[in-house]
Amino acid sequence: MSRLEERYRTLLRLLPAGYRQEWEDDMVAAFLESMDTGDPETTAYLADYGRPSLSEAASIVSLAVRLRLGADASPRSRRWGQAVRLATLMAMLTHAVLATGGVAVALWYSGKLAWLPAPAPELMLTGPASIWSTTWDLAGYAWLPAYVALVLGYRRVAQAVALLAIAPPAITTAVAQAVGDVPLTVSPWALLLVDVVLLLAMAAFQHGVPPVPRRPWLLALPIGVVLVALPLFILQAVEPALRLLDWPGLAGAAVTVAMAVHLAVRATRRSTRTLPWSLAFTLLAATAFALRAATLPDYHDQAQRAALTTIASVQIVAILAVGVPLAVSAVRALRDTPAATSPPTPAP
Amino acid sequence: MTEPAFFILTALIDNPRHGYGIVAEVAELSQGRVQLKIGSLYGALDRLVGDGLVELDREEAWQGRLRRYYRVTEQGRDALAAEAHRLAANARLAAARLGDQRSPITGTSS
Repeated sequence: MSRLEERYRTLLRLLPAGYRQEWEDDMVAAFLESMDTGDPETTAYLADYGRPSLSEAASIVSLAVRLRLGADASPRSRRWGQAVRLATLMAMLTHAVLATGGVAVALWYSGKLAWLPAPAPELMLTGPASIWSTTWDLAGYAWLPAYVALVLGYRRVAQAVALLAIAPPAITTAVAQAVGDVPLTVSPWALLLVDVVLLLAMAAFQHGVPPVPRRPWLLALPIGVVLVALPLFILQAVEPALRLLDWPGLAGAAVTVAMAVHLAVRATRRSTRTLPWSLAFTLLAATAFALRAATLPDYHDQAQRAALTTIASVQIVAILAVGVPLAVSAVRALRDTPAATSPPTPAP
Repeated sequence: MTEPAFFILTALIDNPRHGYGIVAEVAELSQGRVQLKIGSLYGALDRLVGDGLVELDREEAWQGRLRRYYRVTEQGRDALAAEAHRLAANARLAAARLGDQRSPITGTSS
């Protein structure tokens, strides 16, 4: 076996075992032939030092996502696919809602919304704005078009726009921490990691999966802004104690509340359609838990360390208290779902 | 029908072909516009086989490997004919709307 073939077979391991059993050798043969240049010397060189091109690798990754999470996956994998899509939508919705709420509040504070009563002077808690924080804020607003694009079915557009939301904060954080403008902390990096995972998870919305129901997900945007984002910003402005809730804290609280609501709804309406939601909340709870736990060391140098640590501990307990029973019941329900359908077989 | 599936069926109409044979034929048919990646080829091929539009024709040994040749089924021919008909109807619609401009179907001014 040539090195090139070894590399290609390694790449093919991304595909489900049943699929590989059926198609792997054929795919390898076709791939190796596609690398045959006709010149024996070049072909021999490629056999040793060649690699599958980026576009070849991308085609395998996309096939793997479809087979593992998409329309062609086993019933159990399909549930996970639905769960990943729901969790991605919910996380993107949260980003979009907070971005829109942020725009509205910024406009209000700056007096652009003349028809609203002017905010009290003590509400204007924006500190001296640096170029870094401005870039950060502007980039964050990209989550709104990214979310809308994803709901409307423009997955690649959504990913490209989300990259705009992720890249500038990554650069500004790296620069600001490197020059010592801000202390070295885990939080911004942990949040960025979640955003990158979100960007990759959008791959689960590939061709062939059922489209996102547009009306409820688009409606959720204004409802979320009015019922969650605006009250939250105003409360944080009015009640300084609430500012102790940082972003991982808010995410944890939001996930805990959402899980509690989901459990209540599920208790009244027994339906098989709730399983992907339960799995999605399990994914979100695991993320919120990891985020909260990973960002705890950042409290070390804070003045209100004791209060912050207490709040964070309560959050961790709350996430676990609601999340663990939900995860256990979801995994049990998943076990009742068939693990696999038979792999496709060519006709004799 | 996706574009890879459309071109794979078209490539198989005259002769059974093996995996890379399909890639090469599709590239030639589309004058290099459609370069199927192996992942896209087998992603489309497994669906076509699953739907009964394409089936295994034979296996042949070639340079120490087994080459699988695929052929299009009757059902596959019908599906391709229906799709070609649909695309042609769409193209005629656009050509009619374009009016006195150069018609993309006949390649002549209408």
